[in-house]
Amino acid sequence: MEETKKSIEIINNLSIMLRTSQVHDINNTAVLNLVEKVTGLINDLLREERILQIDLVGEFFYANDTRLKYSIEHLLNFDYLSRELKKRNVGTIIFKERIEPDEMKRFVKAFVAAGFARDPLQYMLNSLKDLRTISVDKLKRVKEGEALDMRKVVKKTYFNAVSFSKGLMNKIKSKEAVNIKKAKRIVESMVDLILEEEQLFLGMTAIKDYDEYTYHHSVNVSVLSIALGQRLGLSKKALNELGLAALFHDIGKVGVPLEILNKPSPFTEEEWLIMKKHPQWGVKALLMLKRPDPLLIRSAIVAFEHHLHYNYSGYPRVTNKAEQDLYSRIVTIADQYDAMTSSRVYARVPLPSDKALSILIERSGTQVDPLLLKFFINMVGVYPIGSLVLLNTNELGIVYQSNPLFPDRPRVRIIMDETGKRTDFTVDLAEKDSEGRFLRTITKTLDYTKYRINLAEYLM
Amino acid sequence: MSESSRIKDLIQWLLKTKKLIRMYPENNPMYIKALDDMYSRFEEAFSISGDITLQIRQYEILYHDEQVYHNPEKTDNLALFLFKDGIRELRFLKGLDKEELKDFLKIISLDEKELVDDDIVTLLWERDFQHIKYVVDESVLTEDEEYEFKATESLMENPTSTDELLRAYRDAMDSKGVEAVEVAPVSEEDLKALMKELEKDSEPKLPKLIYILSEILRTVTSPLATVTSPLATVTSPLATVTSPPTVTSPLGQESDKKDFEEFTSLVKSLLLYSVETGDFESAVRIIKLIKELMNSDMSGDSKTQLKKIIEYAGSQTVIKAMGEVIDRIDIEEDPVKEYIQNLDRNAIEPLIDLLGELKNMTARKLIIDGLASLGRRDMQSLLKGLTDERWYVVRNIVYILRLIGDKRAVEYLLKTIRHPDMRVRREVIKTLGEIKALQAVPILKDYLHDPEPQIRITTVRALGSLHTEGARRLLIQHINTKEFLMRGIEEKKEYFEVLSSWKDQETIELLIKILKRNTLFHRAKNYENRACAAYALGIVGSTLTSLSGEILKLLKKYADSKNPLLREYVKNAIIRIEASYGRN
Repeated sequence: MEETKKSIEIINNLSIMLRTSQVHDINNTAVLNLVEKVTGLINDLLREERILQIDLVGEFFYANDTRLKYSIEHLLNFDYLSRELKKRNVGTIIFKERIEPDEMKRFVKAFVAAGFARDPLQYMLNSLKDLRTISVDKLKRVKEGEALDMRKVVKKTYFNAVSFSKGLMNKIKSKEAVNIKKAKRIVESMVDLILEEEQLFLGMTAIKDYDEYTYHHSVNVSVLSIALGQRLGLSKKALNELGLAALFHDIGKVGVPLEILNKPSPFTEEEWLIMKKHPQWGVKALLMLKRPDPLLIRSAIVAFEHHLHYNYSGYPRVTNKAEQDLYSRIVTIADQYDAMTSSRVYARVPLPSDKALSILIERSGTQVDPLLLKFFINMVGVYPIGSLVLLNTNELGIVYQSNPLFPDRPRVRIIMDETGKRTDFTVDLAEKDSEGRFLRTITKTLDYTKYRINLAEYLM
Repeated sequence: MSESSRIKDLIQWLLKTKKLIRMYPENNPMYIKALDDMYSRFEEAFSISGDITLQIRQYEILYHDEQVYHNPEKTDNLALFLFKDGIRELRFLKGLDKEELKDFLKIISLDEKELVDDDIVTLLWERDFQHIKYVVDESVLTEDEEYEFKATESLMENPTSTDELLRAYRDAMDSKGVEAVEVAPVSEEDLKALMKELEKDSEPKLPKLIYILSEILRTVTSPLATVTSPLATVTSPLATVTSPPTVTSPLGQESDKKDFEEFTSLVKSLLLYSVETGDFESAVRIIKLIKELMNSDMSGDSKTQLKKIIEYAGSQTVIKAMGEVIDRIDIEEDPVKEYIQNLDRNAIEPLIDLLGELKNMTARKLIIDGLASLGRRDMQSLLKGLTDERWYVVRNIVYILRLIGDKRAVEYLLKTIRHPDMRVRREVIKTLGEIKALQAVPILKDYLHDPEPQIRITTVRALGSLHTEGARRLLIQHINTKEFLMRGIEEKKEYFEVLSSWKDQETIELLIKILKRNTLFHRAKNYENRACAAYALGIVGSTLTSLSGEILKLLKKYADSKNPLLREYVKNAIIRIEASYGRN
C-alpha cells in the first residue's frame, strides 16, 4: 500500500516536472527543484524495490505491475502525463538502482526534445541509450485478437444484464423473489469491463435497434452512468452502487399498464398522470424487494428523482426541495441521452447523438446538472460512438471508439471508401504520416438516422 | 517437504487462523498472534514457491494439479464455500500485506447467515485486493442462455443495404453535414466543484429517503384526499405546489388506497431499519414527519393509517430491535431519549418488557427515563408493570413512579409494599415518602419493626420525607421503646437525624432529655442513644440560630464525658454548631 502511494506521488510529480520543463529551461530553479524532488522520491522507492517500472496501458498507469488508482486531485496531472507519453509513443519508463539528478536532467531534456522530433520514441531511445538507470519503451497496443475476445466478453455481459433486467421486471410483476446478489454480480462485471474496456461497452449502448427498449434502456443508462461515474473519480464500490441504482431507475414502470407503456401515439392527460407515477412506484418496488439496506435506499432515491430535473421543474412535484442526490443527477443525464438517442415506441426515429448532446446542453442548468453534463460530454466526445462521419479522404465511416485525449480523433470504421465502394476496416484518426501530419480528419458528420444503417453490424 | 505438502500445510493454517479470528476480537493477543503467524507462513511460502495459484473444485483445492485440500462435507468446507459462488481459481501474489490477509480471512470466516446481502465474490470484489486475485465462472449470472443469441439474431435481421450506404455517401458528399458539439475541457474549477460534490455525497442517505416517502404520502391519496396533478403544474406555471389542483385519481380510489397502505408499510420497514442500525435520529425524523402529516388536511382513514406507523414505532418488534442495539453498543443517548419521548402510549408495555431484558446500565437508564416520560401520559399502562414477575422490573417501575411523582400511584404502591422481595419493598417505602403519600403513615408503622435493617432505615427516612405530625409521633414513640434501644448505632443515628428535621420545642426537649438520661441497665446501649441525641442536637443547633447558644452550652457539659462514644459525638456536634457560627 505504501509503495502504491509513493508511486502515485512519483507520477504526479513526474508530470509536474515534465510540464514545467516544457515552459522553462532545464537549468531554471523551478525545474531543478522538481528534478531534485522527483529524483529523491524515486530513490526512496528504489531503496525498497530496486526497480520502478511505470507502464501506461490504455488509460491506466501501472507501477511495478500494480494498477494505480488515483484520486480526483491527481486527475489533471495523470491525464497530462498520459497525453504526453502517448504523443511520444512511450508506454514504459524504467528507473533502477540509484538515480543521480544529472541523469534525471538528461531524461527531462530528452523528453522535451522528443516532442519536436519526427520519431519521438526513437529520439528518446537514442538519447538515453548509454544511461544505465533510466530507460523507456514503446507504448503497448491492445492486440486485435485480444480486442475481439474482449468484445465477446463485453457483449455477453451486456446481454446478461439486459436479460437480468427483463427477468427482474417480470419477477416484480409476478411478485417473485428477486436475486439482488446476482444483480450486484452483474453490475460488478459491468464495472470491471467499463474500467478496462469502456469504449467497447459504450459501443453496445450506441446500438439503438434493440427489440426490448425498456430493458436495454435500463442497462444503457447503467453503463453510461458507470462510465460517467468513473470520470468523476468514484470508487469501484461506488460505481457498483451507481450502476445498480441506474439499472433500477425505471423499475416503477412495472406499475404502468402495458397498453400505456407501449402506446405508439401521444399520451392523454390521464395516461401521463399514470406514467408520471412511475418514480414513486419505483420507490415502492425497490423497498419491497427486501429488507432495506444502503444500496436499496440509494436506488429508491434515484428512482424517485430521475425525472425531477435540476431545477425541480420535472416530476414528481415536491414541497421539500432538498438537493438532489449525486447519483440521481448522473442518472438523469444518462437517462435523457439514451432515451433521446433510442428508438422508442412513441418516438420511432431516434435523434442522432450530436443532436441529443445539443439538446442536453440547452437543458444545462435547468433539467440537468451543468457540471456533470460537462464531464458527460467530455466522455462521449465530439463524435460519439455510432456517429456517421465523412473524412477528408472522402471515406465514409462510423465512429467506433472515441479518444479521450483527442476528442476529435476517434477510431472510425470505414464503411465506404473514397470511390464510394462498400468496404470495412478500422482506422485511428490519431495516426500520423512520416511528416507528422494526420492521415485522416473528420470533415462532416451526418444524421445516420436518415439511413437504415444497422449499427449492430459495425459495433457489436 | 514437497511443494504441495507445504501448500497443504498453509491451507490447514489458513483454516485454523480462520477459526481463531472468528473467536477473538481484533485487539486480542490471540487474534494478533494468529494473524502474524499466518502472515509469516505466507511469506515463507512466497519465498519458496513465488505466487500461489489454487484451483477451486467443489470438494477439493488443487495446487499444480495436486490435491492440497479435500472435504466431502457440505458445511464448514472451504472449497465449497468458494466454489458455490463461482470462484474457480484463487491466486495469492507475492507482496500480500497483513491488512489484505486480515480482510481476506474476515471474508472467508463469514457464515451463511452473514452473507444475506452479498456473496463471496462481491465481498472480494469490493475489497479490491491488490495481491489476491480470483477467477470466477460467470455462467451463474446468465438468466436466459438463449437471450444473447436471439437478440443478436434479431439485430442482424435487417443488414445495412449497399443502396442505403450509397445514398448516405452521396448525401455526405453533397450536403452540409451536421455541426459537431463543442467540447469544453474540464477545468481546475470544475474539478474543485466536483470535489465538493463528492464530499457532500458521503452524507447518510436515509434522511433523504424519509423525506421522499413523506412527499409520496402527502401526494398519494387515500379515498378522501386530493391528488397532485403533475400535468396541471406543467400547463399552468402559476399553479403553486402548496395548493395543488384536485383531480380525480387516474387509477381509481381503490388503487390509491392500496398505494397509501403499501407506502405506510414501507415507512414502517424504514423505521425498523433505522432502529436496527442505531440511527435513532432518522427514526425520530420519521415519527415527526408522520405526526406533521397527521396534522395536515387529510382524510380520517389516512390519519388512521398514519397513526399505525406511530404505534408500530412503539410495538414489541421495534422496541425489541431497539433493545438489541442499545444493549450492545455505546450509543448517543439523546436521539434514543427523543425517540422514546415521541412514542405513543402503546410503547409502554413493550418498554417494560425490554427493561427486564437489558443488561447494560446505560440502556436501562434510557428506558427508565423514557418510561417516566411516557408514563406521565398513561399512568395505568405503567402501573401494569407493578405486577411483573421480575422483581427488578417492579423495582424499576416503582422508581419511575417516584420520578413521575403522581399521587394517583399511591393506591397501587400500597399494594406493592407487600412484595416478597425486600428490594422492591424498600423502593416502595422510599417512593411513598418522596411523593408525599400522607395516607401511608399508618402502614409505614409496621415497617419500623421489619426484620431487615435497610427497610427500617428507609421507613424512617420516608417518614422524615412525609414530615407529618403523625410521622413524628411514630418516631418518638419508637425511640422510647426497648426494641429501639437494642438497635445498632448507625440505625439509631438515622432515626435521630430524621427527628432533628422537625426542630419543634417538643422534639428538642425530647432530645435534651435523652442526652441527659442515665440508666442502670444497658448502659452501653443508652450511651448510644445519648450520643445520637447529641448528634441530632448538633444538627438542630447548627440550623436554628435562636437555640444554638443554649444547645452549645448544654453540649459542652458532656464534652469531657468518660464515655468515649458520647464524648466524640458531643465534640462533633459542638464543632458543627461553631462552624455554623462562622458561616453566619
